[in-house]
Order: sequence, then structure tokens, then C-alpha cells
Amino acid sequence: MLIRNWLQKNRYIVEFTLSSLLRRKGKNLALIVSYTFTIFLLSSVMLFTHAIKEEALTVLDNAPQMVIQKMIAGRHELIPVAYIERLRQIPGVSAVKGRLWGYFYDPATGSNFTLIAPDDFRYSDGEIVIGQGISRSRSVYKNDIMSLRTYSGSVMDFKIAASLSSDSELVSADLMLVSTGDFRRFFGIPDSFVTDIAIEAYNPRELNIVANKVTSIFPDTRPILRGDILRTYEAIFNWRGGVVVIVLTGTFFAFIIFAWDKATGLSADDRREIGVLKAVGWDTSDVLLMKFWEGAIISLTSYMVGVVFAYAHVFFLSSSLFEPFLKGWSVLYPRFRLMPALNANLLATLFFLTVLPYTVATILPSWRAATTDPDTVMR
Amino acid sequence: MISLFNIRKVYNAGKTSEVVAVNGIDLDIEGNSVTVLSGPSGSGKTTLLSIIGCMSRPTEGRIILSGMEITSLSERFMTEKRRMTFGIIFQGANLIKGISVLENVLLPAYPCGERYGYIKGRAMQLLDEMDISDKANANVEWLSGGEAQRVTIARAMINNPSILIADEPTAHLDSRLSYKFMDIIEGIKKKGKTILIASHDPIVYDCSTVDRVVNLRDGRLNTQG
Repeated sequence: MLIRNWLQKNRYIVEFTLSSLLRRKGKNLALIVSYTFTIFLLSSVMLFTHAIKEEALTVLDNAPQMVIQKMIAGRHELIPVAYIERLRQIPGVSAVKGRLWGYFYDPATGSNFTLIAPDDFRYSDGEIVIGQGISRSRSVYKNDIMSLRTYSGSVMDFKIAASLSSDSELVSADLMLVSTGDFRRFFGIPDSFVTDIAIEAYNPRELNIVANKVTSIFPDTRPILRGDILRTYEAIFNWRGGVVVIVLTGTFFAFIIFAWDKATGLSADDRREIGVLKAVGWDTSDVLLMKFWEGAIISLTSYMVGVVFAYAHVFFLSSSLFEPFLKGWSVLYPRFRLMPALNANLLATLFFLTVLPYTVATILPSWRAATTDPDTVMR
Repeated sequence: MISLFNIRKVYNAGKTSEVVAVNGIDLDIEGNSVTVLSGPSGSGKTTLLSIIGCMSRPTEGRIILSGMEITSLSERFMTEKRRMTFGIIFQGANLIKGISVLENVLLPAYPCGERYGYIKGRAMQLLDEMDISDKANANVEWLSGGEAQRVTIARAMINNPSILIADEPTAHLDSRLSYKFMDIIEGIKKKGKTILIASHDPIVYDCSTVDRVVNLRDGRLNTQG
């Protein structure tokens, strides 16, 4: 019986709260719209940063555990193929492979392309596979001939054998795949050198030990671990996300001032209403429960709508609002859809940053009004 | 039914703006009677009503209600007592704007958590008695002064209180509506309720329904009649 009454009482209070919100439709709608917009901006930045880091993580899953580069005067140089055999002899190393890759500046489009000669390139010499970004910028497609200027100034013609799928466009937009022979001819790299060397270890936990051995055998090399690359990616995207948040700080502050004013400044009508409710028998806790629901309904609605809109913006509209800023400054913007990625930590952080402060800010002034004697309403 | 012993109420005690609103009042109010507190503005009528109605605590003194001292009750029990024992009619109608007449009448019943069908039935019955049931779903903004007054009476009666408190109930009513109000009070008295009215309107304190007029001046009893 008591539980039924308690439940019924709470139902009445929630219903009264809803009707209270509807009574001030204009004011509350304006608040919800600006609140939702703020949450949308914040969520978009956080979702994008999180998703792109996840994307980078997925891409790096296929990257080698360690890459060895030769350094001369602090700059990356070609590494002799002879190093490969010595590296294979290091205990714990399971595979060693020389890689050929480099950059090509294309004056026609004013952009840098990445050239790679993969081991498993299944096309013949004179054929090329290109990323969607290159295809778009040069308006070249399968079976077209693409002419590129080599290191010596001569022109090399490649027949486009295929283009890379758009699924992997984040990394493949500016990519060109050619045969090993074509790569060496294009850049003038002798057979005795590769760009860098990829190493795999039996036990990934021993990578640091292997790296130390590499530098002691070849002091002119620099080992780069996959973990280091991941951390760099994280730092870059965290930094970019942080810059966007700073740029949006003005908006956040404007909203905070607006919300604070709305939440803390009880109007004379609000005070009178609280006084009437108390005078007719509402307990202080009933009034606070009503104000709690009022704050919770506004902030939860804004939170959910803001997050859903941000989700659609980031994962279906490719973050069109701040895509160039967050993805980078490359001339060839990759067109891709991020894999939807949400996690509980992210949602909880957003919740605690947005819903909680507003709800608390709503209750505090009401608590002050609700704890005063209701006889003020009689005057 | 209600006994007041040396009730004193001081606002802003110890400050330069200190006001002694009620200054040592002893009073007994019989059950099933109509008592009017009369006196000029600032004589302490409203303050005394709010103390009796558990809306504020006296600075000094004791109140015994049906054999129970209520002055020392906790906030929670004071609220409970106010909700279940007292029905309150304010000087202004003090209805909540933007919601219907029916919802306004139901407000005091919400914290009790009774079934909706039951409280709605009771509210409709009260609105019918006040001759305003046809306006149950209308917004309160559309009511005339007299209609708003009758809605506040229905709201005050929704929890079937034993004591009805009214503060200057005819202040905003013309003579015809003031007489009608006193007719309603007579009807409520016939149901066995105790009624306490603060008013300096002769239509109220000269009405035959009134059993007793208590005159206040400067926070003290002037005459008991």
C-alpha cells in the first residue's frame, strides 16, 4: 500500500514537472536547443577524435611490430640490404623484411603522393594501383595512362590497373602501388638498398630488448615501435581535438552563462509557485524532486539528442563541420566513413561534463527557496 | 480544538529591522466554529494564521492542536499536519497559471499518492459544490475573480481537512461575491469543519455564520467577543 502510494506520488510529480516544462515552452525550448547544440559540438569532437584513433589503431594492426631506419645526420636515409641478414640473427626475431616506399610531389595537383612497392604486388611492371584521392585529383581511372616524372626528370608512363577501395581511404587516398622494379627505376634506388626494414618478434613483450640489440649492432639506425606510432597518433588527434575544443570555448561559455542564469536565477513566479506548493502540503523533498526531474528532463533530452546528432554527423556525414581541421591539412582530403565507435567511458565523460552540472545547478537555488517557510506566499 | 499559549513571532530578531508581528497571544478556538481574526493592516492577523496553519513557527509559545503540541514538530511532520489537517485559502487566489482548474485543485492531493480516479472524483465533486465543474478543464487564467476564489476553496478542501484557514478571502471580491463566499463558508461549517478567517471586511465579521470575532492590534489581542 505504502509503496503503491509512493510510486503514485512520484508519477504525479513527474507529470506535474512535464506540465511545468510545457507551461514555459518557449523558454525551455530555447534552453534545450542551445544545450543540445553545445553537447552536439562537444560530442562531435570527442566522437571524432575517439573514432579516428580507433581507425588508426585498426590500420596499425597490420603494421610491422618494429621498423628500422638508417639515420645520417639526424635524417632518414636508405638502409643497406646487407643489414637484413644480420638482423635475422638476433635472438627473438621471427621475420625481417626490407620495404620500399617514398613520397612523390605532384606539381599538377600540388600534393604529395605516397609510393609503395609491396611484396605481394600482383600486377606487372608498368602497371600501377592508385588511391581514390589521386584518382579524383588527377581525373584518371582504370586502364588510363598516368605519366609521372622520375628522379632524373624523364617521364614514366603507368597503366592504371586498379584503384584502392574507399573503405580504406583514410590511409589509401594518396597511395600509389607499383612493382619493386618500377619503384627502383622511378627513384633511382640501387638493388642493394631499401627504404627501411620491418622486424617481427616472437614475443612482442621483448620488442624493446630487440630494439636495444639493433641499436647496439647498428648504431646508425633508429628502431620505431608500433606502440610509439600509436602514441604519436594519439597525441596528434588529442591535440587537434583540444584545439577545436578551445576554439569552441566561447560557445561553451555562452551556454554556461545562459544555463547558469536560467538554472540559478529563480524568477518571482518560480518562487511563488514553490511557496504555493509548500503551503498546500508539498514537502521540501517533493519540491526538490520536481526540480530534479525538471533539470534531468532538460539535460537528458539535450544530452541524448546532442549525442545522436553528433553520432550522425561524425559517422554518416564525415564530420563535415570540422573535417579539414581534425583530419589534417593534406591537399587530398580522404573521403571515408569512420567505423562507428562508441564506448561507455566516452558517454560517461560527456554525461558528467554536461548533465550533472546542470541538474545540480537547477536543484541548488530551488533547495534554498524550498527550505524557506511557505508563509511568504501569504504576503 | 486549537489552543495558543503566549505566541510570539519576531522577524529579523536582533537586527535594526526587527519587527514583533505577534506579541504574546493566548487564544482558544473551538471545533466546528467560524472564528474571524480582525484588525487593521499590520496587526498580526496573517502571521497568526500562518503560525496556526503550520506554515511558520512561532519565536516563542506553544500551540496545542486536538491535544497534540505541534510547535516542536519536525519540518516533515509540520508539512504532513499542514497537508492533512489544514485547508488554506490565500489572500490572492495563488493558483498556478498554465494548468487547468482541475490540476490546481488536485495539487495538495499529489503528495498523498492516492489513486487518480479517487482524487479526481473528489475534486470534481468539490468543483460541483462550488458550482464551477464546467470549468474543470479550463486554464485558470480564464477565470473571473469569483471563480478563482471558488477554485481555491475546492483546492483547500481536497484532502478533507478539519480546519479551513482563509486570509483576507474577500479582499479582491465585490460585495455580491463576498456574500456568496460566506454562504460557502456556512456550508462548510455545516459539514463539521472549523474555520478561521483573517479579515477586516464587515461582510465577513458581521456575517451570522461567524461565531466569534477576535480583534488584534499591534500583535496583541484587543477584544475577545
